[in-house]
Amino acid sequence: MVDANLAKGECTGTIKFTPPLYKQRYQFIKDLVNKYKPKKVADLGCADCSLLWMLKFCKCIEVLAGLDICENVMKEKMHRLSPLPGDYLQPSERTLTVTLYHGSVAQKDPCMLGFDLITCIELIEHLEATELEKFPEVVFGFMAPAMVVISTPNSEFNPLLPGVTLFRHPDHKFEWDQAQFQSWALDAAGCYDYTVEFTGLGAPPPGAEDVGFCTQISVFRRKYPNTGEPINLEKPTENSYRTIFKAVYPSLKDEKYLQNAVVSEVINTAQIITRRLLDSFNSVYKEHSNGLVEMKPDFQLPRYFMRHSKNPSLAEGEKLADDRNMETYVSGNAVYIPLIKIFSIPKVNKLCGTFENLSKLITGKVALSNDGSAVVISTEHEEKENE
Amino acid sequence: MTGRARARGRARGQVLHTTSLAAAVGPPGFQSQQLGQPRLQLQPQPPPPAEGEYVGRGHPKGIPAVPEPPSEAGKLQISAGFQELSLGERGGRRRDFHDLGVNTRQAIEHVKESKTGTSGAIIKLSTNHFRLTSRPQWALYQYHINYNPQMEARRLRSALLFQHEELIGRTRVFDGTTLFLPKKLENKVTEVCSQTRNGETVKITITLTSELPPTSPTCLQFYNIIFRRLLKMMNLQQIGRNYYNPNDPISIPNHRVIIWPGFTTSILQYETSIMLCTDVSHKVLRSETVLDFMYNLYSQVEEQRFRDICAKELIGLIVLTKYNNKTYRVDDIDWDANPRCTFKKADGSEISYVDYYRMQYNQEITDLNQPVLVSQTKRKRGPGGVMPGPAVLIPELCYLTGLTDKMRSDFNVMKDLSLHTRLTPERREREVGKLINYIQQDDSVQKELRDWGLSFDSRLLSFTGRVIQAEKIHQSGRAFEYNPQFADWSKETRGAPLISVKPLDNWLLVYTRRNYDAANALVQNLFKVTPSMGIRMNKAIMIEVEDRTEAYLRTLKQKVTSDIQIVVCLLSSNRKDKYDAIKKYLCTDCPTPSQCVIARTLSKPQTIMAIATKIALQMNCKMGGELWSVEIPLKQLMIVGIDCYHDNTAGRRSVAGFVASLNQGMTRWFSRCILQDRGQELVDELKVCLQAALRAWFNCNQHLPSRIIVYRDGVGDGQLKTLFCYEVPQLLDCLKSVGKDYNPRLTVIVVKKRVNARFFAQAGGKLQNPPPGTVIDVEVTRPEWYDFFIVSQAVRSGSVSPTHYNVIYDSSALKPDHMQRLTYKLCHMYYNWPGVIRVPAPCQYAHKLAFLVGQSIHREPNLSLSDRLYYL
Repeated sequence: MVDANLAKGECTGTIKFTPPLYKQRYQFIKDLVNKYKPKKVADLGCADCSLLWMLKFCKCIEVLAGLDICENVMKEKMHRLSPLPGDYLQPSERTLTVTLYHGSVAQKDPCMLGFDLITCIELIEHLEATELEKFPEVVFGFMAPAMVVISTPNSEFNPLLPGVTLFRHPDHKFEWDQAQFQSWALDAAGCYDYTVEFTGLGAPPPGAEDVGFCTQISVFRRKYPNTGEPINLEKPTENSYRTIFKAVYPSLKDEKYLQNAVVSEVINTAQIITRRLLDSFNSVYKEHSNGLVEMKPDFQLPRYFMRHSKNPSLAEGEKLADDRNMETYVSGNAVYIPLIKIFSIPKVNKLCGTFENLSKLITGKVALSNDGSAVVISTEHEEKENE
Repeated sequence: MTGRARARGRARGQVLHTTSLAAAVGPPGFQSQQLGQPRLQLQPQPPPPAEGEYVGRGHPKGIPAVPEPPSEAGKLQISAGFQELSLGERGGRRRDFHDLGVNTRQAIEHVKESKTGTSGAIIKLSTNHFRLTSRPQWALYQYHINYNPQMEARRLRSALLFQHEELIGRTRVFDGTTLFLPKKLENKVTEVCSQTRNGETVKITITLTSELPPTSPTCLQFYNIIFRRLLKMMNLQQIGRNYYNPNDPISIPNHRVIIWPGFTTSILQYETSIMLCTDVSHKVLRSETVLDFMYNLYSQVEEQRFRDICAKELIGLIVLTKYNNKTYRVDDIDWDANPRCTFKKADGSEISYVDYYRMQYNQEITDLNQPVLVSQTKRKRGPGGVMPGPAVLIPELCYLTGLTDKMRSDFNVMKDLSLHTRLTPERREREVGKLINYIQQDDSVQKELRDWGLSFDSRLLSFTGRVIQAEKIHQSGRAFEYNPQFADWSKETRGAPLISVKPLDNWLLVYTRRNYDAANALVQNLFKVTPSMGIRMNKAIMIEVEDRTEAYLRTLKQKVTSDIQIVVCLLSSNRKDKYDAIKKYLCTDCPTPSQCVIARTLSKPQTIMAIATKIALQMNCKMGGELWSVEIPLKQLMIVGIDCYHDNTAGRRSVAGFVASLNQGMTRWFSRCILQDRGQELVDELKVCLQAALRAWFNCNQHLPSRIIVYRDGVGDGQLKTLFCYEVPQLLDCLKSVGKDYNPRLTVIVVKKRVNARFFAQAGGKLQNPPPGTVIDVEVTRPEWYDFFIVSQAVRSGSVSPTHYNVIYDSSALKPDHMQRLTYKLCHMYYNWPGVIRVPAPCQYAHKLAFLVGQSIHREPNLSLSDRLYYL
């Protein structure tokens, strides 16, 4: 991940990183997430929510939170964090809640408790001295997540950057060299029982290796296991942050979406089976008509057993269950497909888990036979089509 | 072909936009050639007539828009882009859908003072419009923002500017070039400095360019931008042009369809105030991906036909991508490509689609052999931007939206959908009211509005309309009255002789063996119903054919001679290819009126008489007979109807249908059609058609018409200006070329069926559909147009949609009242429906003609048919 190509402009001496450093920092976090699979992630100083937006695609994350002192900058693009139409159309297995808070990292709020990973990308250098002083206690002492990532500019690199006189950004209150950052980090780690490792992004050009990375990063890991509750109880519980955005993603854990998914899968499966059945029936019918056998309109299909199926999932399902219960049959203008057969379809099976659950979910939503053991698909329409 | 005799729904309110299954998909080579070509632009526009003055968009008159742009090419480009396009919200489309600033009324002398009619009974109405009010002395301040050194990226431009929040404040709209604020900065020109991430210092110049009054056209765009922002705040999802609420989806699992309720919204300057017009909209989404659809289709059709059928089903559909919120139109399927193919990223590096989607969105593509979808980008990106190449989409990552042609023609699907989408006036009012409630109740929305000094009325706009008196239907000497509530006279005129009939002496009936009984039943019933109409009928020449397209064609070639008056084909299914082949042969190579009937429609004994009656009437019209008439007081008047049909499959040819009346009673019509190449909306060879129509008129009447009224349908949003500048002069030119002394009065009326305005009649504390004949020409019309709405049809379920008429050119000096009544009269004259329809008959005839040619014939029909309604 620290494999950025460093390009040195020949005449101007400008240093350019590809991809740009800010993207590398986000990628660094994303890689970390993919490696450790945290469920709850918070980004302190989330600004325009770019990092949060990238992280929402990570399938392990179930809770995503952002905190920033500037409400407007968050609001600018916060709608990117809303679920997309596609998220509603095929709700995912996992749950995901994205929340944005307006508040300061110098204040405690119980909403930040219990996180697995907290990131502070280019945050601390924007803090006033008083805020910086409270920061370790809030993040490591109070929030106490399993892992913390802090990045900040390395002032030793500044002479290599064009046009940087004092700080890289006018709002920076300070920029540390490697020694300053590392001693601050080691102090915090020691004080709150964390281990810390140092790394960085944006390698220095050949010949200037001593200055270190352009961005310095420390990765903290909590030494003690998540005892969670007892400690948290002593902590203040009043809310100091204000929620400005909250999005709950549709998920199959929510019965409403699960039911929709199951119903649609059941009906689809039943329709496929019905169509196959009618197709094979029609070829029989054709043979009859060629033989000039008159078919009466009220002709009733004999009980017809589906045995051959080209669809692997259907075929597989058939093997699994008892043949007697799997009989699909036609009666009058309807095809009856036993629920047990539908339940044996892997997709349905996975969604519902148990047969009882399947019955419960589709009751009232799908036409069933009188005893509730089979799905009924009317063939009146199909037959007309095939005339 | 939904069984010609059954197709009556189309003439009425619903007009389902059935799209083509027809045009064959060309060979792959042909298509890929087309892909590279830029979209055809509209024809060059001749200068507008001297009277016409156009207020450009984006700038109020008289105020210099942009400070003199510095000479660097980049800046020039941005300024030019700004001038041409004006601002748009990020990702918003920049086309002018509302035809703002096209002032056609000022050139029409006799409606300068008033454009309202007078006759009819007053009716209390309400409409889905809400007034937008602003503080007294409200103004919007428009600033031009300049960067030195020049900054390209819009995001960066915004970030740099917003570093100066203390100066510009939090309430603002900025599109990268133009800044809108609710306040005036102290100085006309303000200079500030910002720093980029790299520490580069950028000088920003903020120049006040104008102070806009609430009614300025630029303000209107601004209101719409703000409103879209509000809709986002309310967590509504944008899909295409409208906004939808994803939290309350209606699922119809039987058809794998999900409906999202939502809103269409627009804020415009109406007659006396600026109003928000909002209507309920339903988005049909599908929970299956394009790849699912392909798998499903593959299992249903033979392998060698799969690609063709797949292309036919998918091309033209709109898909929605999984990973972002964008919609694309499928223009082509690239069967040779797959997700492992690579493309060049913006930074120049090559990456495969699989890797790209995995990296960027954590989206795994499982089927690596699927083809890719190709979508042409229509929009330019950024100010003065370049045309991006076609977008390539992965079927697995795209959801289908909308309905396929197959679903649309499936009665069951449409029935289940209409259950949810067809709303009664009361329900519609409630749903529309929901949006206004959201606005009033959401704190952040209210704050945003307050910050800008704006607010919306919380109640629907109420006003009065007029109901024009019902017409009398004249049928061979007798006048019939009908119940105006139902706008239908099929019962009243049953058994009455027609105005003029063509005898059925020598006609063919072609049927398959299986349908022998149906064929006999048809003949028997025709014998029963024709005498009372006054039609003399001989027994048909009955011909049995095999149920194959070639068999039908062979029979037609052998048996249809010049003395055959009409051919009736009994078809066993609604297979389109057979219908197309028959129509094509009998409309071009062997011009003979023809009637296709699906055998099934004759299968029910209890309805067969009614069906036979309809068929007899239709056959009579096709042979040149006349059914009924209404009183048309104007003499020497020729009515013209024009409509377009756009083929949405590959090739994209457009067909314009052109019909013109031939007599005083508007019972006989001349027709021509024009086939145009892709993308071109406006009729090009109008002159030729009009000349031919005048010749035909002369042959019938021995003189030329002194008035010509053109009803022009099929005009897209945002095309009004082109129509006015290009098509109207063509018509005028044509008339001039007829002769020096010939100087008829010309009126051109643009007819629009798809409008968002809805009207509700208040009757006894309940909201109902306004009765047929309701005219609206106040409040919700536009001050710069001579326009009005008419509700002419009656609907049995749901809310009726009004038709909008915009008189863009008028030298007739006809009073608005007369214009409205004449228009309403013409809605009575469509012979395929014994009732009032949604548009004037000439529009519906032109539509029918264009549809037939575009769907089935694909060639200009034989001119010898042009004096008959063979296309019904």
